[in-house]
Amino acid sequence: MNWQPTITPGCVVRRLLLAMALFCPMTALAEDSLLERDVLPILARNCLGCHGGLVKEGGLDLRTLPAMLKGGESGPAIEKGAAARSELWKQIASDNMPAGDDREKLSPADKALIKRWIDDGLPTVSERQKDVDPLLTPGQVHKPLEVATAIDRHVESFLQASGLQAVGVCDDEAFLRRVTLDLSGHVPTAAEAVSFLDSKDQGKRQKLVETLLAKPDFGRQFGRTWREWICPPELPSNGNAGNQPYGQARAMGDWIGKKITAGDSWAQITREILTVQGKVGDHPQGIFYALVGRGGGTTADGSARAVARLFMGVQLQCARCHDDPYRDWAQSEHWGLAAFFGRSRGDFEKIEIGKGDSKKPGVIAIPGSAFKNQGQTIKAAFLRGAEYKVTRTDDLRPALADWLLTKENRFFSSSFVNRAWFYLFARGIVNPIDDFRDLNPPSHPGLMKMLSAEFAASNFDIKHLFRCLCNSRAYQRTSRLAPGGDARARSALTTAFGRMPMRLMTADVLYDSLKRAYGDDKLDLRTTIKDSTVGMAAPVGDAWLEFQRRFGINEEDATDFTHGVAQMLTMINHPRLHERSKSLDAHLKKNPQAEPDSVIEWLYLSTLSRRPTATESAEARAFVDKSTSRDVAFDGVLWMLVNRSEFLLIR
Amino acid sequence: MTRLNNDCTVDRRDLLKLSAAGLVSGVSVPWFESLVASGIDAPRKKNCILLWMDGGPSQQHTFDPKTKGEFAPKPTAVPGIHIAEHLPQLASLMDDIVLVRSMTTEINGHYDAKYFLHTGYKRTTAFEHPSVGCISSSQSEGGSGDMPAFVTIDAGFDRNDGGRLYRNVPGYLGPAHAPLVVNDPNEGLENLAVTGANVDARLQLLARSESRFAKQFATPAVTAKQAAFERAVRLMRSRRSRAFDVDEEPESLRAAYGSHKFGRSCLLARRLVEAGVSFVEIVHRGWDDHSGAAKPIAYRSPWMDAGMATLIRDLKVRGMLDDTLVLWMGEFGRTPGDGNGHFSKAWSTMWAGGGLKTGQVIGKTSEDGKNPGGEIVERPVPTQDFMATLCLALGMDIHREFMAPGNRPMPMVDKVAKPIAEMLG
Repeated sequence: MNWQPTITPGCVVRRLLLAMALFCPMTALAEDSLLERDVLPILARNCLGCHGGLVKEGGLDLRTLPAMLKGGESGPAIEKGAAARSELWKQIASDNMPAGDDREKLSPADKALIKRWIDDGLPTVSERQKDVDPLLTPGQVHKPLEVATAIDRHVESFLQASGLQAVGVCDDEAFLRRVTLDLSGHVPTAAEAVSFLDSKDQGKRQKLVETLLAKPDFGRQFGRTWREWICPPELPSNGNAGNQPYGQARAMGDWIGKKITAGDSWAQITREILTVQGKVGDHPQGIFYALVGRGGGTTADGSARAVARLFMGVQLQCARCHDDPYRDWAQSEHWGLAAFFGRSRGDFEKIEIGKGDSKKPGVIAIPGSAFKNQGQTIKAAFLRGAEYKVTRTDDLRPALADWLLTKENRFFSSSFVNRAWFYLFARGIVNPIDDFRDLNPPSHPGLMKMLSAEFAASNFDIKHLFRCLCNSRAYQRTSRLAPGGDARARSALTTAFGRMPMRLMTADVLYDSLKRAYGDDKLDLRTTIKDSTVGMAAPVGDAWLEFQRRFGINEEDATDFTHGVAQMLTMINHPRLHERSKSLDAHLKKNPQAEPDSVIEWLYLSTLSRRPTATESAEARAFVDKSTSRDVAFDGVLWMLVNRSEFLLIR
Repeated sequence: MTRLNNDCTVDRRDLLKLSAAGLVSGVSVPWFESLVASGIDAPRKKNCILLWMDGGPSQQHTFDPKTKGEFAPKPTAVPGIHIAEHLPQLASLMDDIVLVRSMTTEINGHYDAKYFLHTGYKRTTAFEHPSVGCISSSQSEGGSGDMPAFVTIDAGFDRNDGGRLYRNVPGYLGPAHAPLVVNDPNEGLENLAVTGANVDARLQLLARSESRFAKQFATPAVTAKQAAFERAVRLMRSRRSRAFDVDEEPESLRAAYGSHKFGRSCLLARRLVEAGVSFVEIVHRGWDDHSGAAKPIAYRSPWMDAGMATLIRDLKVRGMLDDTLVLWMGEFGRTPGDGNGHFSKAWSTMWAGGGLKTGQVIGKTSEDGKNPGGEIVERPVPTQDFMATLCLALGMDIHREFMAPGNRPMPMVDKVAKPIAEMLG
């Protein structure tokens, strides 16, 4: 790595170098020791247990730089530029800390990193990222292609600085399938595939993105994606009866979808979720609070954590019971946010105002189930912001929405941008996607800054954001990968967005794609035993719910192929997948004289969104010719196609 | 939620380092796998057959009868130990059994209690804890053999209540450790039998395309898909998959297990363990006897006694009992006397085999007073102690830590646990 510190000022490359150093350990700049990358992991491993959020031995908190400079009972822990005079270094160097004979002491390499960091003047990544150039003017809305180009400049500069070479753009077949699955939630039909693939229009990709975003399917798909993000892995149930609000959760997803289709902004949708009241039947978004609550009811703290995680990109779960041991979130911040939800209460049926965990509006007591500060009263406060002066007597949620849903709010825009990016690339610009904080910087700071500003300037226009992302070269890269090669290099390239990873279809997308392949909107892959309503994992619900349970994926990482024997056996042997495809029947009825080769091609187009290669065609033809009947032959080809890796994965 | 999280210190240290370096989202970095793999200890050695009596069976009508109770205490093969009169076959096997009569588990609501007793943790809103079956799966060799590590069997129900059923959720151990579900022991595993014509030709047609695809898209996802698919096909064709078919057993043995679904499930469980499955959970529903436990349990006892006793004997004859723990329990017990209510304060579980120090009773409930059995008078066993004992009995390292969402380290068993040393071999 040749790093010349004197590259032209303003050049993105220079500014991205730091991100690269953060990002790519093998090309890291050996001479640098940075707080977030090098020092914090050592502290987290060895020190924060006793000098963090949970315990502060000697009054010392090592979670943040200001806290270290402030120090504890024996004065500041560090002195900028002088390790020899820093208490932290003295304690570590002498092996006095970590305290106790049974504790492993720091390795020489770890010690060297800490010493260098102090001696070099406490450099941090965030400080170096501060002036990163977003490339586009904040506060203005730009043309989607302009934004897409800027996305690519950010990503390219990063790759270049990291010494990585991006792969090429994917072929039309892969693009068609990828973008249709992402924006519509199901495979394209054979006719749609033919029309796109055969078009000679230079701008056809951009036009396809437009077409797909204009369909209600986009709202539907993104709405149900949000449903999955909101719902815990196993839905809550109310009491011993054990009803789980699957129906309500689906209705909420549909509601979000319709809002998106109607063109509502993300701020508007969020406001309607945050401030909902009345019957869940009338306001489907009302189930949100019970979904993130407990025992079928809502809780102020559960609401606060969910709102923080989903709409602010912040993890407050540890801070419920005590200050976060590793991250700079105080228990009082968690409960300050919870106080906004203290005067509304509800369950699977309704949300009512005027009742709740708070005795009076604007204050909430830390409950006895917390480990620390039980009973202490906390006033409503905006996260990292001002205390809230109660001006309304009861419902404080609108005030929270007013604070959160502005273009200036530091959390709202960026957390949505990060989720949208994560949705398309299986990885956020900040990771984990809901862990935004100063000491967990984005991999591509300029990109994050630019997209957050663009999304805010567009008044949180969801489709505008997707238009920008899907038209970028970064989104359109191939996922092809030759065997062999260095796994680390491959991983670095993928995580730098220089290559598209392959993702596993979600249960919803797979289900809809199978329904299309079989032309059967009621496709049912449940077990043969359908009479039981209380089976163990068995048919407790409808066909959709069972499919959802069986084919659910790893929500945190779509590149993780999580299906096992049970899922594969279902695909291989479930009787429904060996029965007629209604869409194939319709096709054959319309084209009674169709040659086997053209039927094979049609089957390829309706499942894999491409024509077969010559070899594939010949192999399928040989299979067809050997089969006892036409039905057996084509059923077999269809079975083969839906069992392909290429079908289950988004390439 | 990723399967790579299932390790302890190596995992955790590197995870912190990596996440601080902005490198980890779902811990999917491939070279991470090798780190994790290098940290895996020796596989656990014991199998488990968990007999889950859903709804909460009455201890006084089974393993902790009282002299003035509804069922008379009968002597067993071990002098001084008495169990309820309707379980004669189990009484004769007391040498191979440990009774824990001092379970005390705090929660009296069905679902929360099921969750607590399956996971060793109380429910939180933050995330779902893995069940002991899933934990066992994550700690077994698994993956390479034909057979899955964890299977659940639905043994049907007598009464359709007892609240929402607990589903074994692998949580942060990853979906790979979800159980394979058998919905009916007489039917075997769903979708295991070949369906459709010319399966060989189809598989061959598929295999050709798959091998070409793997060369163009040599990604971990494709490798994983093809491996899972191959395992499924192998299971489908494996002689060992015949383990799912209880009809292969001799008529006399089937008769001894009993024709009730519970006995069939016990027989299926033995076949599965024999074929390499390490954890089987059999669920029989309908033990929520709010109108008195005497009548329904008198009715259920014969098939329960036959199924369990035959299972224990059968395992012993085959030399498998020392390596296989049979554990009978529900989510709580029932109020002393008639057994009408839920009772988590003092109840019983039955353990057999597994290399435990058998032929003894752990803990004791009160014999006299107004409410015999209402109090524990010796060695209370809270849920955490129970879970620690179970995991240790299965040969697992209970101090192992997993990584829960939010980089939160979760020990396999709550750190407050004190295992029951007296019964561990």
